[in-house]
Amino acid sequence: MTTPFDVAVVAIPGGVALELAGEVDGAATEPLLAAAEQAAASSPPGAVLLDFTNVSYINSTGIALIVSVLARARAQRRVVVAAGLSEHYRQIFDITRLSDFIEVCTDRDGAARRVADAGG
Amino acid sequence: MSRRRQPGPRRLAAFTVASTVGNERVALARVAAAVSACGLSPAQLERLKTAVAETTMNAIEHGNGGDPSLPVAVVVDQDGDGLVVTVTDEARHGSTTAAAAEVPDLDAKLAGLQSPRGWGLFLIRQMVDRVEEATEGTRHVVRLIVHPGDGTGTAEARL
Repeated sequence: MTTPFDVAVVAIPGGVALELAGEVDGAATEPLLAAAEQAAASSPPGAVLLDFTNVSYINSTGIALIVSVLARARAQRRVVVAAGLSEHYRQIFDITRLSDFIEVCTDRDGAARRVADAGG
Repeated sequence: MSRRRQPGPRRLAAFTVASTVGNERVALARVAAAVSACGLSPAQLERLKTAVAETTMNAIEHGNGGDPSLPVAVVVDQDGDGLVVTVTDEARHGSTTAAAAEVPDLDAKLAGLQSPRGWGLFLIRQMVDRVEEATEGTRHVVRLIVHPGDGTGTAEARL
């Protein structure tokens, strides 16, 4: 059983949250990059929270999409924070070194506080 | 003097999927079901699932060029203390071999010097204890080998 990808862009104190849901794979390309574009246009520019709480699957194409979102945020000198990753995907973030550039928080509340600190 | 014979591999599953994107998830689920009683830790099982999905996706997209008429064969064997998942494609469109693959460099990707893509083979190698590749006849074969309960060769130990 597969769950289609969905993403919501939500303004939060200090920045913007991309609330991802379902499967981050090739089918997520268009909506995730559009969401990243929307986040990049947000004003004032703050930190970006990637919320994976409702994500069930990430494949190598999904990793590439996250790299693209990260590259765009870094070009704007925005801090990127992640929340809600399972232990397996936290390990993949370590292996790929995404966690060198994305601060991985255990829960959404902690990540939101980090965004408020970084973006405020 | 009698010698105890080593038992041969025990086949746990053998199936094919059509070369349609999305079928890597079918392979993942069937392999996970086949190895459910083999003593893999939950973390090992998650890593094997990722390796199987990525290997099958490579076979679908590269080896078989996304041609739904070409099958990807998946076989799961228990051999001694190891689990071996064999993924075979028809190598009609040129498989991406581990040896030929560019090593992903996140710094280079973030700087725009490398494509953001190219993580598949890297992940496969990190997720299991050993990866073997071969050309058998006209087919491209990848074997993923995992030793249940032993994280020494995987990313778990390398981190």
